[in-house]
Amino acid sequence: MNRVWMLIAIAFANAFRGIRTASTTSSLAVVTIAIVLVLVGAASLLVANMRGILDEFGAELQLTAYLESAISEEDQRALANRVAAAPGVDHVEVVTSDEALERFARIAGGPELLAGLDENPLPASLEIHLLPEARTADAIGILTASLDGLPGIDELAQGQEWIEGYARAVSLVRAGALGISIVLGMAALLIVANTIRLAVYARRDELEILALVGASRTFVRVPFLLEGTLQGLLGGLIALFVVYGAFELVLPQIRFGLELVLGRAELRFFSVAESIWLVASGSGLGLLGSIMALVGGRAQ
Amino acid sequence: MKRRAANAAGDAPVRMYHVSKSYMAGQYALHDVSLEVRRGEFLFLTGPSGAGKTTLLELIFADEAPSEGQILVLGRNVARLGASGVPALRRRVGVVFQDFKLLPDRTVEENVRLALDVVGTPRREARSRVFGLLKSVGLQHRRFHHPLSLSGGEQQRVALARALVNEPEILLADEPTGNLDPDLTLEIMDLIVKASTRGTTVIVATHDHSLLERYGKRMLRLEGGRVVEDIPAAGSASGVGT
Repeated sequence: MNRVWMLIAIAFANAFRGIRTASTTSSLAVVTIAIVLVLVGAASLLVANMRGILDEFGAELQLTAYLESAISEEDQRALANRVAAAPGVDHVEVVTSDEALERFARIAGGPELLAGLDENPLPASLEIHLLPEARTADAIGILTASLDGLPGIDELAQGQEWIEGYARAVSLVRAGALGISIVLGMAALLIVANTIRLAVYARRDELEILALVGASRTFVRVPFLLEGTLQGLLGGLIALFVVYGAFELVLPQIRFGLELVLGRAELRFFSVAESIWLVASGSGLGLLGSIMALVGGRAQ
Repeated sequence: MKRRAANAAGDAPVRMYHVSKSYMAGQYALHDVSLEVRRGEFLFLTGPSGAGKTTLLELIFADEAPSEGQILVLGRNVARLGASGVPALRRRVGVVFQDFKLLPDRTVEENVRLALDVVGTPRREARSRVFGLLKSVGLQHRRFHHPLSLSGGEQQRVALARALVNEPEILLADEPTGNLDPDLTLEIMDLIVKASTRGTTVIVATHDHSLLERYGKRMLRLEGGRVVEDIPAAGSASGVGT
């Protein structure tokens, strides 16, 4: 083993020795990082899923143009072709008033419910499907303005308002999660920094002796940096398992409610890359806390 | 590398020119000290408490910087050592203290090996060198013990082994026998003298007059931070005093 590898091995050995020696304060730092990352992870998962649902709603976003009752089927098709040529429109489906009534009967629970109707009250309509790039508030606004007032169109309806409200909620949750993450992250940093400061203080005799025998600044500092990083790594792993456990245990309990509100509940857990990010951010917190402790500290 | 360093230091690894050290304005721990210690020479620093013995040693191993004057240790100007220069110098200077400065949670072997670990000496080589050193101070059978299970004399021998394991060119000892009874004192001093016979320059601070008489080495007496006496070793010429 050459000298560089030997120095690396010694740095790790010293870091583990430090964690073992100050097991109580080290555990405190690990638990703090884990708690912070559980909260941050849960909030991130919520935001990611809300965004996922928003994207899916966006894919299904369409405009509905209700047609005047007097318009003939030939004129309906002509109007559909004209609308399909408008910018941002992917394709247009014609729903005749009979088809609309059938759909309603299906949703309402059976044709017997409509038995008392003398005539079909539902108008024919055009379902206007949008191109992905046109699924924005501005693009929809421009398209609506260009369609509004076309001969044969009685009324334009859009599911956009609900989606915009949902998007605002996503932004709000994301901003809240970010704010809370920053505050909790700062708290975790301070606790890790204090843990490392305590470790430096507890090992002041060792540091004095190391300095006497010619230890370089790097040799003295690296074990403390490793110590913080390892604490963060452990905290991150614990957080990942806790969030995963909660996801697996809690989701079945709330699936029915989610389906009721959202129509479905295909929620997802973090991808492998996102999971690595969560654990890595724990290590990052630990490393940053150690650097804070060592800057201007005794371990010079 | 060692040979190159020895050449750079010439025949005097320690040279001090009009060195003063002051911690408060107008109050000197050391005042206008000039000194030259030749390679392989053994020097006793003596004087009452507060005379400046420890300060002089601290200046040599760059634990303190001089307020005035110049200090050359192994050819390097101590006042101009950078952040990496101090550790590099200390790897060539062994230091022993009255209170041993051993780590109680490490074994004897680990304590001695510390000086080799900081330069990344491969484990097998380090173990072999530590064993050799412990054998030379008669403690090879105690290498897996912890310092607190050893007697004071044994602990000081461990500290001496740690100071010597890197084969330093200079060995500094600050009251190394201050905590030991007379028999153990002689045991430790014999080991230190033995190191000097192998070419290591040795400076020992002590106020034990019996040692000065017994060993008959060069003696520098300090009082109030000044050199008041520089007595050459019995039967030899002296270094330069103030």
